[in-house]
Amino acid sequence: MELQTFIIDTLSRALAYGTPLLLGTLGEIYCERSGVLNLGVEGMMILGAFAGFVTTYATGNPFLGVLAAAIVGGSASMIHAFFSITIKTNIQVVSGLAITFFGLGLTGVLGRGWEGKPLDASLPIIGSPFLESIPVLGPIFSGQSVLVYISIGLALILWFILFKTSWGISIRSAGEDPEAADALGVNTSLVRYLCVLTGGVLAGIGGAYLSIDYRPSWTQGMTVGMGWIVIALTIFSFWNPLAALIGSYLFGSLFYLSFKLQPYLAPELLMIMPYLTTILALVLLNCSKTFRRRLGVPAALGLPYNREEK
Amino acid sequence: MRKTLLFTGVLILACLFFTGLVFATGEKGAPEVSGPAAEKIIKVGFIYVGPIGDMGWTHAHNQARLMVEKLPWVETIYQESVPEGDTLSTIERMIQQEKCDVVFTTSFGFMDGTIDAARKFPNIIMAHASGFKRAPNVATYMADFYQVYYLNGLMAGALTKTGKIGYVGAFPIPEVKRHINAYTIGVREVNPDAEVHVRWIGAWFDPPAATEATMALIDEGCDVFAFTEDTSTVVEVAAKNGFPSFGHYSPMYDASPDYVVSGQLVHWDVFYLRFLGLVYSGILNSGNLENLDYWGLLREGDVELGAKPGMPVNPAWIGRLGDTHDLVLKRLEQMKNPQMVFDPFTGPLYDRKGNLVLPAGARADYLHLLTIEWAAKGVVGPWPNEP
Repeated sequence: MELQTFIIDTLSRALAYGTPLLLGTLGEIYCERSGVLNLGVEGMMILGAFAGFVTTYATGNPFLGVLAAAIVGGSASMIHAFFSITIKTNIQVVSGLAITFFGLGLTGVLGRGWEGKPLDASLPIIGSPFLESIPVLGPIFSGQSVLVYISIGLALILWFILFKTSWGISIRSAGEDPEAADALGVNTSLVRYLCVLTGGVLAGIGGAYLSIDYRPSWTQGMTVGMGWIVIALTIFSFWNPLAALIGSYLFGSLFYLSFKLQPYLAPELLMIMPYLTTILALVLLNCSKTFRRRLGVPAALGLPYNREEK
Repeated sequence: MRKTLLFTGVLILACLFFTGLVFATGEKGAPEVSGPAAEKIIKVGFIYVGPIGDMGWTHAHNQARLMVEKLPWVETIYQESVPEGDTLSTIERMIQQEKCDVVFTTSFGFMDGTIDAARKFPNIIMAHASGFKRAPNVATYMADFYQVYYLNGLMAGALTKTGKIGYVGAFPIPEVKRHINAYTIGVREVNPDAEVHVRWIGAWFDPPAATEATMALIDEGCDVFAFTEDTSTVVEVAAKNGFPSFGHYSPMYDASPDYVVSGQLVHWDVFYLRFLGLVYSGILNSGNLENLDYWGLLREGDVELGAKPGMPVNPAWIGRLGDTHDLVLKRLEQMKNPQMVFDPFTGPLYDRKGNLVLPAGARADYLHLLTIEWAAKGVVGPWPNEP
């Protein structure tokens, strides 16, 4: 019984903390699958968190908040798309970082009057006597925000699109070999633009989850590096939405356990696990070419595609 | 065409970086032009460890700065989110470029950098918060909450039903340990069997970590919460789950009027105004600060009991506190008394391992409190550097 409560507590927190990570990672997977590396996740997340909070506070409607966060996150990502796709410069790293700096700085200044304000409206919570009556799974899933469910659904849908549809083939080929994709009639630029946009929208929503639901308030810098964990998770999940689902909740469990198990275990041990596992994933990827091909590092990741040069 | 595009692109990018950096490093407080130019003006620089909007430590220092700035003979500037390694260069900039006469470094980690800077600029007056290294031109100052934590502990002891009280701490350093011990002594005075469960988050500012630490304590069975870190996270998470808590540092009553029972409030302006007044009148100068170690408690007025100025206990909770409410007010008066007729760290006191740390009748002196490492009876959880 003790063990069961322990597992339920842990997994229920894993869902709560893992959801913004999952949303961000799903977006970054699409972005990177199409061949664009976006290091601006942290910036897009915090912009989304701020836009979501302010909109919800002003209108009283959390869904409008999520929508605003999606729009703001998407718009920020378009700056990055412009640089990496239209201008085709080798500065994807720089323009991504610029968005991170810009987002953290801008929200820091704009958000000064919003610190410590309570939010009355919150996203609906899913829970019913029937749900709670399901053993183990019931208590884990009931009482979670609607965004937790949406993100799980999204992971499944995005996985299906990426691996089971022709759209998915277009996306993956844009990231693997844009030249060949272009020759086959795929509009590489459009595909990449849409994927970067997806990344921005999802990162923005992930931010909104933090400020509207997870801890309903606004604080400057409140994403505290989650955007960077997303970058790590993208690698850890080998650019696969289903693995991202597992990875996010694994990272979430470890984060919760580092506090839960503090009396028995040095918290640092658990805190470093996400990073350690990501390094291991990288090592694994570089072990052999087969791994690299199989596990899906997009071959053209970070490389601009310049049609005229061919 | 491509060149133009590229050019615009680089321009936009540069703008993004620039605005981001300018915003992130924080603007300087606009210098105030006031009074006749001949008047003596003291320019004061504040160096903050966090963002001024953190609802905690830095926010409180900045509120005090705003009050100080109202003095006609004071001009202030500040720099927020300064990394500890940049202490010296930040002080240098404030002195050389901004021409500051007085610099306040407001975090423990700035200690060595402040001392280095003091050697380099022996004519500039500096004061370092929460440290223990001084120099002829460096004073130290601190407003300490342990007495207020003790009072909140009394209330927590009366309110807990499970006998488990949760405490989220930033780092296991003497300052936080002193708070937890004082709080636990208060809890045990009212409720001799209650436990204070502690979790460390390893950061002054990390809302997700504070959230998960609070959730871990809730899962452990805790039903009253206190904390020492720089956000209102614990208050919010506790309230969301229906548990009472105590605010810390800034007024947190508004974050959750139904669940905040009381808390600790700071008035750094008390120290800053006193200190700058003495500097202005020439009593304090860059040669006589070696022994100035200011330690502000309830008696001095640097700290206050409550989650909102002027409200020691949330009226919604007074009824539920019963007799404890009277005890809290009595102890508050005793500690405010100029003779300080009561102090929580009065012997006989035993640590949680059963060792006598303070003999009967003795009161912990300043040095004991500043270097405290033992854990009070009733503290449960990890306690690094426990003697």
